[in-house]
Amino acid sequence: MIRAFAHRLTHKPLQTWLTSLAITFSVGVAAMIVVLAMGLQVTGLSDRVPWGLWITLDLSSIALGAGAFTFSAAVYLFRIKNLEVLARPAVFIGFLGYSSAMLALAMDIGRPDRFWHPIVYWNVHSVLWEVTWCVILYSTVLVLEVLGVIGDSRLGRRWPRLQKIGHMSHRLTPILAIIGMGLSLLHQSSLGATYGVLSGRAIWYKPSLPVMFIISAIAGGMSLTMLASMIVGRLRHQQFLPPQVCVGVTKTIGFITLGYLYMKIWDWAATSYYSHTPATAGMLERLHATTPYTATFWGIEVILGGLAPALILLLPNLCERKNLVMLALGSIVAGVVINRWNVTLSGLVAPPAWSPGVLGNVIAVSYSPSIIELLVALGIVSYALLGFTLGVRYLEIYPRHATHPTD
Amino acid sequence: MAETKDTPNPAEQTAQGAEDSNKALLSRRDILKIGGATLAVAAVSQVVISGPFSADSVKGLERDENGHAEVGKHQWHMAIDLSLCIGCSYCVRACQAVNDVPDDDMRWNIVFPEQTEVGLEFYMNRPCQHCQEAPCTRVCPVGATWVRADGIVAMDYDRCIGCRYCQVACPYDVRRFNWRVVKDENEYVPKWGIPEIERRPRGVVEKCTFCVQRIDRGLSQGLTPGVDPAATPACVDACPVNARIFGDILDEQSPVSKYLKEHEAFLLHEEWGTQPKVHYIRPTDGG
Repeated sequence: MIRAFAHRLTHKPLQTWLTSLAITFSVGVAAMIVVLAMGLQVTGLSDRVPWGLWITLDLSSIALGAGAFTFSAAVYLFRIKNLEVLARPAVFIGFLGYSSAMLALAMDIGRPDRFWHPIVYWNVHSVLWEVTWCVILYSTVLVLEVLGVIGDSRLGRRWPRLQKIGHMSHRLTPILAIIGMGLSLLHQSSLGATYGVLSGRAIWYKPSLPVMFIISAIAGGMSLTMLASMIVGRLRHQQFLPPQVCVGVTKTIGFITLGYLYMKIWDWAATSYYSHTPATAGMLERLHATTPYTATFWGIEVILGGLAPALILLLPNLCERKNLVMLALGSIVAGVVINRWNVTLSGLVAPPAWSPGVLGNVIAVSYSPSIIELLVALGIVSYALLGFTLGVRYLEIYPRHATHPTD
Repeated sequence: MAETKDTPNPAEQTAQGAEDSNKALLSRRDILKIGGATLAVAAVSQVVISGPFSADSVKGLERDENGHAEVGKHQWHMAIDLSLCIGCSYCVRACQAVNDVPDDDMRWNIVFPEQTEVGLEFYMNRPCQHCQEAPCTRVCPVGATWVRADGIVAMDYDRCIGCRYCQVACPYDVRRFNWRVVKDENEYVPKWGIPEIERRPRGVVEKCTFCVQRIDRGLSQGLTPGVDPAATPACVDACPVNARIFGDILDEQSPVSKYLKEHEAFLLHEEWGTQPKVHYIRPTDGG
C-alpha cells in the first residue's frame, strides 16, 4: 500500500502538490474562522508584543511582491524588451503577495468589520494611513494588470467581455506601470518608516529603515520572481530567458543586495559601533542577553541571506549552474523574511525602560506564535502557492512555447 | 490544449444570446449604468467629505496642519509625589472600578515596587503620561486617538480598528488591547467606586483618560477639576496620602501648579520629546 501511495505521489506530482496545498489552505481557513469567532486571544500576542508573525507575513509578502513594480517599470517604462517575459509572472506574484498581505491584515486587526475605516476616517499624519491607501490603490493597479492577463487566457477566449476588459487594461499598461512604481516607491519605504518614525523606540528610530526596506524589497521581489520562473521553467522543460538576460538579472540582484548590505553595515556601525546612545545600547544588550537576535542578525540576515547569495550571483558563468542560482535567490528571499521578523520583534521584545527605577520594567518580554497563528499563516502561504500553481496552469503567465531551447 | 477552444463553445453562445435579449431591454441596462455611476460618485464624495474636510475629523483631531494639538484654555496635568506614595494601590483599584477594568492585566494605572540606583526603595506609579507630542496619536491610521485641546489623550472606541500601532508606538506601555470579550465581574465595584463609562468591546485599544468623563461633566456643572472630587480623576481622589495632585497648569492657583512651584519634578524620559503631562517628584529617604 505504501508503495502504491509512493507510486502515485511520484507519478502525479502536480496532483499531490495541489492536494496538499488544498488541505493546508483549508486548515488555514478553519483557523481563520476560529480567530474571527474567538478574537485575538487565540494568538501568542500580548500588550507588550502586539505585533508578531502575521505582521511579518504582511511585510514579507508585500516586500516580495515588489518584483511586480520593478519588472513592470523595467519593461513598460524603460523598455527593456528582454525582460518582457518576466513582467507577467512578476505582476501575478505581486498580486498574490498583496492579496496575502490583505488577508493577513484582516486577521490581525481587532475589528475586521471596520477594515474600511482608514478610507473614510483620515489621519494624514499617520504613516500607516499612507501605507493603507497606497496598498489599496496599488492592489487595484495589480488587479487591473492581472485582468489583462486573464483576458488573454482561455477564460478570455471563453468570455469575450473579459477579453475586452483585458485589452483595455493592456492599453493602460504603461500608465499602470508609472502609477504602480510611484505607489510602490511610497509604501514599500513607508513600511520601514512604520518603525522608523517611532521616537520612543530607539532601536527603530532612524531614517535608514525606510530606505533599507525598499532596497531589500526590490532585491527580494526580483529574486522571488526569478526563482519562481526558474522553477516553472525546470518543471516544464522550458527556458524563458536567454542566458545573457538571465545573467543580467541575477547580476543586478547581486549588486542591489550588495548595495543593501552596504547600507545595513553603515547603519549598524553608525548607530551601535561608532556611537553610543544609552537607549539603543540598552535595547541591544537586552536583546543579546535574552534572544538569538545577534546570531540571526549577523548569521542569517547579513551572511546567509545577503552576502553569500550576492557573491554567488556575481560569480562568472553562472547560468550554467542553475541549482546554485536558485539556492542564492531563495536565500535572498529568506533573508528578507527573516529581516522583517527581526525588525518587528527586536523593537518589541526589548521594550524601552521608562521607569526611573532599576527593577521595574527592564525584563525583556517573549513571544512565540500560537498554533492557530501558525495555521493561519500556513493557510495564507498555501493560498499564494495555490494561486501561483493554478495561475501558471490556466492563465498564460509564461509563454506556452519556449522561445529558447532548453539545455 | 488551447487549440480545442477555437470552435465556439456553448457557454459563449448562451452569453451571446443573453446579450441579444438584453438589447430589447436597453433601458434596464441604462438604468443599471446610471445607477452604478451615481453610486460610485456618491461613494467617492462620501469619502472626500468625511475625510480630511469633515467636521467630525476637525473636531476629533483638534490639530494644526503640522499635526500638533491645539492648546485650549485648560491644560490638565498631574503630579505624582513618589516620596509620599506608600504603595497601597488604592488608586489602582479606584481606577479599575470607575473605568470598569475588571481584568488586572489590563490596568490603565499601575503601581509597583521599585528601587533607585543607590538602592532606595519606592513605589513607581504609571498612569497614561498624556504626552502633548504623543507618539501614539500620530500613528493612528484612522484618527481614533488624539490629543484634545485640554491636553488629554483621548480614544474613540467606535473608530478604533484594533491595529495596535499605538501600542507599538507608546514607549510607556500604557495602552491595553481587548484581546477577548471581558465579561468578568468587576470585583472592585462597588467597594472602590461605580463604573462611569461603558466597558469596551473586544478588538479595540483602551487607555487611561484622566477620567475625562468627570472633567467634562464637572466643568459643565461649574466644578473645578483637581479641587472638586466629582470633577477629579478617581486615582487622585482615592489616594490616602495625597501623593497625586491634579489640575489646570494654565491656572496658577490650581493644586498642581502650586505643588510644582514648591517641588522639583521630573518627566519620564524628557529626551524622547513626548512632553508628558505627568510630573514626578523624586523619592526620598524620609518616606
